[in-house]
Amino acid sequence: MGSDDDTRDRRASDVPLDLIKERDAFVRSFLKKGVEYTEQLLRENGELREELDQLRDDNTSLRAQVASDDAIRELLVTVEELRKERDRLVQRSQKLEDTEAEHAGRQAKIEQEINDLANLYVAGFQLHASLSPRRVVRHVCDMLGQLVGAEAFVLYLVDSSKTIVPLAHEGLEEAPSSIDEGVGPVGEAILTSLPIIRERDLHGGSIDDPVAVIPLTAEGRAVGAISVVRVLSQKNEWANVDHELFQLIGHQAAVAMIAANLYDTDKGPKDALAGLSEKLGS
Amino acid sequence: MSEHSCLVVEDSPMMRQLLVFALARIKKLKVTEAEDGVDGLRKLAGGKFDLVITDINMPIMDGLKLVKRIRGDETHKDVPIIIITTEGSQEDRQRAMALGATAYITKPIQAPQVIAKVKELLSLE
Repeated sequence: MGSDDDTRDRRASDVPLDLIKERDAFVRSFLKKGVEYTEQLLRENGELREELDQLRDDNTSLRAQVASDDAIRELLVTVEELRKERDRLVQRSQKLEDTEAEHAGRQAKIEQEINDLANLYVAGFQLHASLSPRRVVRHVCDMLGQLVGAEAFVLYLVDSSKTIVPLAHEGLEEAPSSIDEGVGPVGEAILTSLPIIRERDLHGGSIDDPVAVIPLTAEGRAVGAISVVRVLSQKNEWANVDHELFQLIGHQAAVAMIAANLYDTDKGPKDALAGLSEKLGS
Repeated sequence: MSEHSCLVVEDSPMMRQLLVFALARIKKLKVTEAEDGVDGLRKLAGGKFDLVITDINMPIMDGLKLVKRIRGDETHKDVPIIIITTEGSQEDRQRAMALGATAYITKPIQAPQVIAKVKELLSLE
């Protein structure tokens, strides 16, 4: 062992001093550069780490943004679907409203028809519900006033001398006079057995120019007439049921009045029917 | 079984029948008829009514007197009263309302109008 150490010492002492200095300087310089290089590497490493951290943060942020964009896209799709659904519902609602309006209109029409039919039924029923001439005339007046909406009217009958005489009237300032056969609208309606009904200006009538004249017929012959001089202010046109009522009055009022006039209250209904079966049998 | 009762006071048989026809379309409403104001008071004395419909122009006792009598009657003083008037008789209508009538219907009577008014006053569907 001792001989190896001796050999190394001897060799070192053999190296010129300049070279040793140069070597030492080189080693120092090398070590210094190594330290500097290492420090630089460490610094760069640190900077790269920071940069990496920054990139990671950026990446996280970008990922979040992408996720957020996806969510927005999904929301937009949902909004679009909801908008379409809303449009569908609005269309359906509109359709339902139209149907409802149609049904309401139909119901109102049916209500009106029921009302009209009830009026006609009651009018016919009451007209023949009494054998008192006074009541029958009262019913005719009620029909005109309450159902037709006549404010002023006259009920005329043709007497044995063929003069048209007023039997009852309502709403007139002056009592109506008798009329000769064929004279004026009333005379004409009785002569022809045809009604005269004005379709316009229902408030512009007068006793000489009534808005409607309805002949009262029995067995096909006119025996009187109803003259509507004026209608209620709220009535501007005839309703369908008014024409039906005119027809009913025209065909049934005279018959009801004849039956009531022939009926003898003192003798009663049994006596009034006496001999009927014999008449039917003959 | 009827849940509400209504008294119709009208001297014209035809108008009375029309009103009864209209009111028959309201479920669970019992209708009693009276020929004039006096008959109406008799019917009121014999029962409890939730509504009275009366004409204004009637013989013996008219609708105005009837309204006044009903408002003075302890049993029926709060009962709603519908009066039937003509469009032209605004004075009668105002007098009836001043005496305590609740509402009015004008002639010619329309069933839907009567039904709607009765339902409104009786708070029916």
